[in-house]
Amino acid sequence: MWAYEFMQNALLSGLIVATICGVVSVFVVLRRTAFAAHALGHMSLTGAAGAALLGISGLIGQLLLNAVAAVAMGLMGEKVKKNDLAIGVVLTFVLGLGAYFLFLFQNNYAGSVMSILFGNIFAVSHAQLIQLTALAVLILLTMLIISRPLIFASIDPVVASSKNVPLRFLSVIFFLVLAVTVSMACQVVGALLVFVLLIIPGAIGMQWGRTITTTIIISAISANLAIIIALYISYAFDLPASFCITMLLCVGYFVGLLKKLAKRT
Amino acid sequence: MIICKNLVLGYDEPITPKFNLMIDDNQWIGIIGKNGAGKSTFMKTILGNLAPNSGELQILGNQPGKLNHLISYIPQEREINLSDKMSGLNLILSSYRGQCWGLALYSKQLKQRAAELIELVGATTYAHQAFNTLSGGQKKRIYLAQALINQPRLLLLDEPLADLDPHAKQHFIEALQQIHRYQQLGLFIISHDMHEIASHLDAFIHFSGNGVHFCETIECVKEDTYVGI
Repeated sequence: MWAYEFMQNALLSGLIVATICGVVSVFVVLRRTAFAAHALGHMSLTGAAGAALLGISGLIGQLLLNAVAAVAMGLMGEKVKKNDLAIGVVLTFVLGLGAYFLFLFQNNYAGSVMSILFGNIFAVSHAQLIQLTALAVLILLTMLIISRPLIFASIDPVVASSKNVPLRFLSVIFFLVLAVTVSMACQVVGALLVFVLLIIPGAIGMQWGRTITTTIIISAISANLAIIIALYISYAFDLPASFCITMLLCVGYFVGLLKKLAKRT
Repeated sequence: MIICKNLVLGYDEPITPKFNLMIDDNQWIGIIGKNGAGKSTFMKTILGNLAPNSGELQILGNQPGKLNHLISYIPQEREINLSDKMSGLNLILSSYRGQCWGLALYSKQLKQRAAELIELVGATTYAHQAFNTLSGGQKKRIYLAQALINQPRLLLLDEPLADLDPHAKQHFIEALQQIHRYQQLGLFIISHDMHEIASHLDAFIHFSGNGVHFCETIECVKEDTYVGI
């Protein structure tokens, strides 16, 4: 099955997205910004629908809208954790816009909506693969540059602030990284399930990793394994790939949870 | 090391009267006074998080906030985001030059230094255990080792003895004694239990409505105890 070009593209794009999500999701969990990540994922729907209306690439639309939302969330700094209501209201507004854009976008309505909502990893083209690779390199370079202060600020924000770590600037940069990651992951699992790749690998890493480095490695490995196995199952049993990725990651998380519960009892 | 000239601390409104102070290097100073007298505001002003209401403050020969990499601050309340598996050692290492850009790689020498500091504060038996399972007293000794990892010239402690039982307080004070013995650094400590550590300190700053006074003896501590802290 790996001889087909669409399977090769699916595998490569999946591995690129899984690696990036594996790194970023540890910080999403550590910084307790899961709801903000969830909101960015859903805003991608509006970005993609708006882009389709304008006749430009869905990825560009998602990147633009998510970048604006990311800067706004980043400027909120530490308050982003406590402002569930504000994020919820903005998310609702943007999702409403997305619904309207989809209503206006009558051409091939059902297929496009399904593709935006659930992604289609088997439809990733060679051009998209190049775009994903370029974005992945950009994210990895950014993470390499900000990793030291980001880890410090994520673990111990009060003391990091006393050491003149620029918390707000880091917050904006991290949300921009998150915005790009969300836009990339949407190509693979869609706007509705992007949350899965942004939360669960990090949560699995946290269950097993004893240091930040091992947590990130475990997170990235679990996301990559989920992609590889999901693609195989999806191809072999004709099941939606995003469904398989979601189920595998959830199973991985529940195994860790059961181990923890068993240890406690 | 620290020079206050006609300094007035406060937010929009002044909290303290005008005061002058000059504190030498490596002095261990107790800061006392009633709630709201300006003790924590003084620490925030030293860190540059808050501008003085008026007057001049010099920290290590510079304006506040300029040399914060040489100052370590242990706040009274803080949020630590570590997973259930991560140890106190992770917290200590993550603080090493945490303000610098780049990849967070920890050398063998750094790990050796962390181990030495952990031993100094008496946290060797639990520094590798999950941080979230440690007691309040154990966490505070990890915070001490964390504060020392960057070799600070000044250590600021805001109510480190609060919420500790007598046993944990004693252990923490022993850790401070060890630091005093083996590390060259100045220390400012705010505490409502000053009588328990006063004998280890060189001098005291007393914040009160009548002014901010520097005392080299324990007398002002007694006075403060007398007014009912």
